[in-house]
Amino acid sequence: MRALLLGAAALVAATAAAALPPGPPPGPPPPYQMRPVAPGGDRLSPTTDGKTVFEVHCGYCHLLGGMGSNLLTKQRMMMGETPDKGLLANRTDLTADYVKSVVRMGKQAMPAQTKVDITDAELEAVAKYLGKAG
Amino acid sequence: MKLHLPPRVSPKAFNAMLTASAGVVGKDWVMASDADRDAYSDVYAPGSAEEWPASAAIAPASVEEVRAIVRLANEHKTPLWPVARGKNLGYGTAAPRLAGSIVLDLGRMNKILELDAKLAYCVVEPGVGFFDLYEAVQREKLPLWLSVPGNAWGSVLGNALEHGIGYTPYGLHARNLCGIEAVLPDGDLVRTGMGAMAGNPSWHLFPMSYGPTFDLAFSQSNLGVVTKAGLWMQPAPESSLELVWDIPQAEDIGWVIDTIAPLKISGLIDQNVFIPSWLGKMVLKGQRKDFWDKPGAIPEWRVQELLKEHKLGYWQVALRLYGEESVVKAKAEIVKAAMKRNLPAEPAEHWWHPGDYIHGVEITMGIPSAVPLQMSDWIGGRGAHMGFSPVVPATGKHVLDQMARGRKIIADFDVDFYASFTIGGRFANNVNMLMYDRDNAEEVAKMRKLFDALIKETAKAGYAEYRTHLGWMDPVMDTFDFNDHALRRFGEKVKNALDPNGVIAPGKQGIWPAAYANARGGQA
Repeated sequence: MRALLLGAAALVAATAAAALPPGPPPGPPPPYQMRPVAPGGDRLSPTTDGKTVFEVHCGYCHLLGGMGSNLLTKQRMMMGETPDKGLLANRTDLTADYVKSVVRMGKQAMPAQTKVDITDAELEAVAKYLGKAG
Repeated sequence: MKLHLPPRVSPKAFNAMLTASAGVVGKDWVMASDADRDAYSDVYAPGSAEEWPASAAIAPASVEEVRAIVRLANEHKTPLWPVARGKNLGYGTAAPRLAGSIVLDLGRMNKILELDAKLAYCVVEPGVGFFDLYEAVQREKLPLWLSVPGNAWGSVLGNALEHGIGYTPYGLHARNLCGIEAVLPDGDLVRTGMGAMAGNPSWHLFPMSYGPTFDLAFSQSNLGVVTKAGLWMQPAPESSLELVWDIPQAEDIGWVIDTIAPLKISGLIDQNVFIPSWLGKMVLKGQRKDFWDKPGAIPEWRVQELLKEHKLGYWQVALRLYGEESVVKAKAEIVKAAMKRNLPAEPAEHWWHPGDYIHGVEITMGIPSAVPLQMSDWIGGRGAHMGFSPVVPATGKHVLDQMARGRKIIADFDVDFYASFTIGGRFANNVNMLMYDRDNAEEVAKMRKLFDALIKETAKAGYAEYRTHLGWMDPVMDTFDFNDHALRRFGEKVKNALDPNGVIAPGKQGIWPAAYANARGGQA
């Protein structure tokens, strides 16, 4: 995981229009560019699959290689933590309430998410999945 | 955010609209709490988000629901502000021009209706994002490429309808639109082009109508709500070659444009060529304070030091060619010879062939990413940006004049100069990125004055913006002054004929319906 994250950090140093890094071998897209298929069904009904819902609705920023992961990796490393803590799924200090608050209120570079972006039922499942500190 | 009612709408009438709308879309998809209003505000607002407040948001899931909501808006005289996914960052996000408008959030309408590799097009609803379309192409392993903007978090259709640009041969996104379905302000439903005939299979293939062609009349427009559209896509090429030159001096942009634009116009280069200045590279390397810790603009001597330290030119040309390898090789020799007339250094060359790694941050290959938004971290705090984006003819003289003018004005305000020119053919889009911390009131006030000055001085020189933030939609429309603002007068005649109650996006791009004409020029 560490090597992968360092690879992602190197990618960040590339600019939007910069050359492809010569290093990466042929392979599938990084996780943030290939999220799982959204679960079907009523988005307003309670769901237990917080992991999939997180990856679908938050993944383009918060899976490996995404903008949010890149910024958080930098922040967590500056706080003396290991780079894998840049991925929200690896954090153990988040509470469900904190997750809900950041999603609805936004924080720094992250805009507030609407209920179309993520419904209350979906957010409940995501908060449970990420909120390992309770 | 507290409730701002639409003009002349009582709390009772407003609640009646919401109650009736809940009967159409379901109560959970009518969102009118303070927190909901915050979520639909301009996240990058230069100042208080309450300058452009939505009163509520309604999220329909189908064309029929959109039609019903539009009819209700007429009945209750409540203006709607349609957004596709509401990620128009830097231009207002999802927030409305007229205070109290109800955001019509089309994000739930997110179906990819067709994805045709043979004729290279798709048909999508407004809620389909660039990531969604990219992933669908990858899953089906189709030989199709997208054209994406710098921030690909938003909607494919929304970006095209707002005249967004990308950096591939399909980079003029509005030009890729072919065949639109739109709900008109009275709730009627129209299909343009060959789609005007029920069941016509050429709807998304032939770009004109029988008679007047209205597709682009629905772009940057308040004449209807686009509910689906066809979009041409790029067939995956057999190979691609990127040529990268670092261009040493700011003034070199003149010969660069005079070298590349003729090759673009002739068709030898087919992509939109993006030429960012050095700061475009630096913003992803860290925070501003890591490189210059004083509040004013980074002085020229430090700029030169940074260019040296980070081995950057003032500009970078990362030009990409696409197609059969033998053709790409031949084109590359012509482009290299043309560049060599002014720059002896050979370019870095990066070949791509099918099966090679393609993913990552590569907008010239249509790979979606939100990573460029990391520039919001450059300033720190609640980092935000606005782009001042005039269009100039693609000649060295025009581009140098525009750069000198923009650079001087920006320097006079003691702000860092971060510009790019994108050669789209006979024109170049010049985006001047202004980055600020939303919580620094003094800085925000300075940016607003700077934006005013840029519009005014650029218009004096004869140029205008192609797209702008909510707060400047009227001033920019004012710059289109031919024959006593004939374009605006024409737009408003059409608007009033189609939308007598002015319910669809009043004030969008400076087009005000008679019903809200007195809101023109107002902050909100």
